[in-house]
Amino acid sequence: MQEEILEKMKQAVLAFDPKAAADLARTAIAEGVDPLAIMDKLTEAVKIVGDAFGRGVMFLPELVGAADALQAAMPTVEEAIKNRGQKRRTLGKVVIGTVAGDIHTIGKSMVASLLTADGFEVHDLGIDVPADKFVESVKEYDARFLGLSALLTTTAPQCRVVIEKLKETGLRDRVKVMVGGGAITAEFARVMGADGYRPTAPGAVELVRSWISG
Amino acid sequence: MAKSGIKRAYTFDILSEEQVQAIHRATLRVLWETGVAMHDERALKIMAEGGCKVDFDTHRVRIPERLIMDSLAKCPGEWLVKARHPGNDLIIGGPDRTHFCASIGMTTLDLETWIPREPTRKEYCDHIKVLDWLPHNCAMPAFPYFGFAKVPQCLRLVEGHAAKVRISSKAQMEGSVLDNDVWNIAICKATGQEMLHLCNPAAPLTFYEGTISQVLRYTKEDMPFHFASGPVSGATAPATLAGAVVINNADAIAGMVLTQLIKPGHRVWAGSMIMVQNMSTGSPAFGSINNSLMEAMFNQMWRRYEVPNWNTASAWVSSKAIDYQAAYECAMAALSCALSGTSAVLLQGGLTGELTAHPIKAIMDDDIAGMIIRYLEGIQINDETLAVDLIQQVGPIPGHFLTTAHTRKWWKKEQFVPTVADRLTFPEWAAQGMKKAIDHARERMEAILATHKPEPLPPDQEKAVEDILKEARAHYRQMGFISDDDWKLYQEDLASPNYPYA
Repeated sequence: MQEEILEKMKQAVLAFDPKAAADLARTAIAEGVDPLAIMDKLTEAVKIVGDAFGRGVMFLPELVGAADALQAAMPTVEEAIKNRGQKRRTLGKVVIGTVAGDIHTIGKSMVASLLTADGFEVHDLGIDVPADKFVESVKEYDARFLGLSALLTTTAPQCRVVIEKLKETGLRDRVKVMVGGGAITAEFARVMGADGYRPTAPGAVELVRSWISG
Repeated sequence: MAKSGIKRAYTFDILSEEQVQAIHRATLRVLWETGVAMHDERALKIMAEGGCKVDFDTHRVRIPERLIMDSLAKCPGEWLVKARHPGNDLIIGGPDRTHFCASIGMTTLDLETWIPREPTRKEYCDHIKVLDWLPHNCAMPAFPYFGFAKVPQCLRLVEGHAAKVRISSKAQMEGSVLDNDVWNIAICKATGQEMLHLCNPAAPLTFYEGTISQVLRYTKEDMPFHFASGPVSGATAPATLAGAVVINNADAIAGMVLTQLIKPGHRVWAGSMIMVQNMSTGSPAFGSINNSLMEAMFNQMWRRYEVPNWNTASAWVSSKAIDYQAAYECAMAALSCALSGTSAVLLQGGLTGELTAHPIKAIMDDDIAGMIIRYLEGIQINDETLAVDLIQQVGPIPGHFLTTAHTRKWWKKEQFVPTVADRLTFPEWAAQGMKKAIDHARERMEAILATHKPEPLPPDQEKAVEDILKEARAHYRQMGFISDDDWKLYQEDLASPNYPYA
């Protein structure tokens, strides 16, 4: 019975169906399935898609679709983990958002989804996020990684504002900052004082992974 | 199921109706008032009996309008040519059908020095293997190389043709030197396929004995073929593009009249092969936009006549290297040819005029073909593609379309993704070695050669091909066309442990 519902959850991710994944998560938890086992099965499904993406057989719509399906199931699963007093296996905590004045979301959302699928605990603050909010969230979640997204040349300088505020509050050395978006270049990232930049969403995941492995 | 090519969603007419009529009337006048020269008694007799005004002393043949229109009406507008594999049979012609076909090239070339040279047997076979793999190549071209090293000149087309048939089950085009087509036709029959032959009158307005012999042979053997006289505007045709097209039309039509008199309903098509003269060097100006203009005019005329046609402007470019010039000469010509409604575009692999071809260029050109195919396929406009309901569902930001089922279903149908163009972002490109398209094409070639397994000949057909080659070798040796030294070198080639592929 447990195996059957776990398999259905895997298939929901492989079918890129967030609603089915969320519904099945609620059913599974109600039936007493171990939430950590659910996490493992969801991650297994996303890895299948990730491998296919790496081979050029699947593409971003599938990759992010699978990640979205996983994310849809996450609130139910995470609550169950918390209620059971279990500890979620995570590669690290990430805060991510689009900087103040900028309402572009899709690139940031792709990175958030892919990081979640890769095993990180991601707190997506959304769009038009003031610098103070980024800093508060880093502190609140004890995040080790911060992602700042900016598509416009007019809003890109907000990245420096956030980094300066991290320095003012003594948090700068505790967190790795990556920047990204259409207005960002490697040189810009360096000048702003960021720790890294990648031009693509999958590249961002590789960057954070490289920080873990050292 | 046969390959039906690309169904063009739109076709560009370069000429107005008045201009079409003007070119047609001019062609009729040339064929009646000037006529063509046919230096062959057999042809003169056929044309006279068919209703032409023939001067047997000067060999001048004047063709009346009635006979021209009757002959064009007898040419099938759409026909099948059989390949070795039925799935590779081609449907040629029709009002909106276009194929892409690899280019002719006389030799290969060294990609470091750009110096043309004859290929080895292995290089020839590797080129064929790549052409067989290319997804947008419908046929093996006529002599992709003018044979390969160690083979006597008189046998190069025969050995080359045998190699093409052995390696590829795609449709075959072939040219002819001496009486090579006798052996090539035998090879085709032994392997259960037909062949698209080349038949070249000489511009302006001239048919020699060899051309007439080809017409008689191909009609007798029921093999389809084209007429292409290759007029050069300013040299063998008027310097005006319209006048050059008149010559091209007249040469092709005269050949078609002869063909339909010999065998009504025989499959023929019109090859353009038309260029302007490079007035500095005296050579044809390969790659000129004028060639594309003339081919576009030609295509429109032959669509009007409802007889299939094919184009060469995109195959023969002036560039001697795989460079920016080669890319724009090929791509602009190919798009023009396709948009103006040719039945087949010669494209993949050609360089240095007609002098060279290379499989790496063929791989890069195949992306040009893919881009044009996508362009020609057009756009679907319906409720699903207009996506109003989906737009309503997604709404403004933060809504997006990336993960919708609609995107997963449609993006691959809508987008053409090239195989060797580099579309990485700059940092990724820098991190991965700053590879250019030619580098990707080289890697793709190596992968094709390592992994592609073309359908081989069944053992009985392989034996039949080798027997025909043995007969051809003995024939030309006996005729005195192969010296002792050449024969010795040839025997070394035939004794190779990897014969016939290396």
